[in-house]
Amino acid sequence: MAVPFLEVEALTKSFGGLLAVNNVQFRMENKEILGLIGPNGAGKTTLLRLLTGILKPDSGSIRFQGKQLVGLKTWDIVNMGVACTFQNMRPFRRLPIIANVMVSCLSPRAMKRGEWVKVVESKAMDALEFAGISDMALEKASTLSQGDLKRLEVARAVATEPDLLLLDEPFGGLSPAETDLMAKSIRRLHKGGRFGRLHSEGPAMIIVEHKLQQLMKIVDRIIVLNFGTLLAEGKPDDVVNNPQVIEAYLGQGGGQ
Amino acid sequence: MNIIITGLITGSMLALLAISFSLIFGVARIVNIAHTAFYMVAAYCIFSLTGKFGLNPVVGMMIAVVVVTVFGLLAYKFLIDPIREHEAAVLIATIALAMIFQEAVMLIFTGDYRTVSALIEGYFIVMGVKVFFQQVLTFGVVLVVLALLWFLLMKTKLGLAIRSTAEDREVANLMGMNDSRLAMITMGVSVALAGFTGAVLAPLTVLSPYMWMEPLIMMMAVVVLGGLGSIKGSFVAAYILGFTEALVVFVIPKGAFLKGSVALTIMILVLLLRPEGLFGVSFEEER
Repeated sequence: MAVPFLEVEALTKSFGGLLAVNNVQFRMENKEILGLIGPNGAGKTTLLRLLTGILKPDSGSIRFQGKQLVGLKTWDIVNMGVACTFQNMRPFRRLPIIANVMVSCLSPRAMKRGEWVKVVESKAMDALEFAGISDMALEKASTLSQGDLKRLEVARAVATEPDLLLLDEPFGGLSPAETDLMAKSIRRLHKGGRFGRLHSEGPAMIIVEHKLQQLMKIVDRIIVLNFGTLLAEGKPDDVVNNPQVIEAYLGQGGGQ
Repeated sequence: MNIIITGLITGSMLALLAISFSLIFGVARIVNIAHTAFYMVAAYCIFSLTGKFGLNPVVGMMIAVVVVTVFGLLAYKFLIDPIREHEAAVLIATIALAMIFQEAVMLIFTGDYRTVSALIEGYFIVMGVKVFFQQVLTFGVVLVVLALLWFLLMKTKLGLAIRSTAEDREVANLMGMNDSRLAMITMGVSVALAGFTGAVLAPLTVLSPYMWMEPLIMMMAVVVLGGLGSIKGSFVAAYILGFTEALVVFVIPKGAFLKGSVALTIMILVLLLRPEGLFGVSFEEER
């Protein structure tokens, strides 16, 4: 059997007494788009942070293209081809927007040795172009609106030319029009191709999102987390109609 | 006039020290108390290279900077890096490091005051005040280095790496920045600058094993006044304090011993009134 693209096994992480991620396992194929949903506090973001090595799991394993990620430094993981965006955007506020993206272009993965600043800059520009905010490249990042910050996040992640892209609430706080734009960008990225100097193989993606309607249109498969455990997994339609899932969502948000 | 000259030179020296101190703090959250100890080591290096071995002072300066940088990198690799996650431990380790340097210098050179001869002798007179060529030279060289440093930070890839990591280390890591290696490089740059400051200042000052303490206090005051992590702030604050110090010394001739306390008073006032400093950005809650 071929080596699975991403294989997460018995992954557990607790904060004090709270089991944030409890014995989670799943697999995903190359180029697959996986939706990750669940009520607030279900451990979605924690799971993403475990995948990128910001947090160290208590136990379990994460294999990416056959290589163990647990124990590696964040930057090594990124250079293996995993990129992510933040739920609450975290730009380098004091740097110009273009410089924000240039930082990702500095990673060994995105850069061949000895490239000049100009080359890095034009690559970053292409990433901004892709995200649709290239006209604001020289402004300070602190001047951006919510929607544009999201796009900046995407541009930064795309600039590392990842094989696996983790998007934490890409539609969060966006207006319906902006959401559509973002969804379009995601689909375009997934199709792959060249965006200026950037090359996209059409990365696999894990998307955490609460706006289920939009999410359903993009993803191939959905997994549901609740209280840190894997609750359900399957095709989008099956998952949403799963009584356990409905129960979990209503149970936390509902009227009791 | 004298005030201006002294102010400019003290200010430039403080600017270099404070900026290089901020660099390593920004990137690696290392509070390097030994920073000015490196500056002292450089001065003593020059003293022994030119005095004992009769080397050309310029060559001596270069060697001194290299030696100090090597010391700095070794100290980082073996003393600081292993405990880098514990900020308090790093703080204590750098204090210890400063002490080690001080005692080593004491052993080798004894506690006597030493002087280094000027690179160029002579002076010219402006508005009735002697200006030594050495003073002009030091000031000029420091300005050139400050300009180079600005170029490094604003226009190069290394500069971008430093500025981004200083702002948000976690995010920079997530964008593929190897912050351990970057910290090492930054430590090298930072210590080299401290060494350089010691080297260019040596001919204008008196060398003693305790010469690191006073600049350390002044440097801290500059960093606080300018705002932690703000290069521009450090630059402006350095000249403000440089001139203040010069003023105190000249206006109250008997009050020269007060200059340290004036700096500290300014530092305390800033901390009380405007904790983020002149240009500082208040640090957001660590997530």
